[in-house]
Amino acid sequence: MKFRIDKALQQYLDEALDAARLKRNGVKRAQKAVFAEILTKAEAAGDAMRYLDAEGRIAWKATPRLREVLADLEADARADDEHEAV
Amino acid sequence: MLRNLSNRIAFTDPALKVNLERLEQAWDDYQSCRDRDGVYRYLTPVFELVSWWAHGDIAELYARRAMRRKAGRPVDHVPEPFAAIILCTADPEKVDYRTRSKWSRALRYAVKFKRLEEPLAAFIKRKGGINKCATRFARRLGRAAQNIDH
Repeated sequence: MKFRIDKALQQYLDEALDAARLKRNGVKRAQKAVFAEILTKAEAAGDAMRYLDAEGRIAWKATPRLREVLADLEADARADDEHEAV
Repeated sequence: MLRNLSNRIAFTDPALKVNLERLEQAWDDYQSCRDRDGVYRYLTPVFELVSWWAHGDIAELYARRAMRRKAGRPVDHVPEPFAAIILCTADPEKVDYRTRSKWSRALRYAVKFKRLEEPLAAFIKRKGGINKCATRFARRLGRAAQNIDH
């Protein structure tokens, strides 16, 4: 029983989940509730969107805007790596 | 159960706002491109949004909210959800009632007959284009079909 999420959005959410874990100060909450809260915020921020997947279920994916941001970050990281290698 | 989990997450007003803004951006992208299939850059995200709303049985509710947001006040008449979202996100000077109605009928035809894994553009093109799909909708599912039935 889990959310259907595409790879790009999953990476973004994993980081948000880690940040939420660091902030919780020992307060334990069900992981699904935390995840639902993160998805709600990501959707309202225009980073995540719902859609019907090939099996007719509601799934989540990164918005085109988030994909662009992630692609830019990846390109920057690659450029840094190449710069360091020289 | 999987469906319930995602359905339990409320689609908030800020989420509605950013989704409509995304469609407005898609409209601008379509307007600035010279691709002959450019219209699908706009129609595909419209289709995606309204399809999952319809799946969650909230399409009419959010179409009304979108119209209210656009008008800045409650509205009496709300067209069916595809037409409402097109009305809210495309330039009304470029998309008149006839075009909006045609696009909406083609999208409703796709909801009914497109396989989920097939891209919208591929389906509509395979079926002869937007005009043909709109006509097919009217013939098979719209008022014309109802008139034959009754």
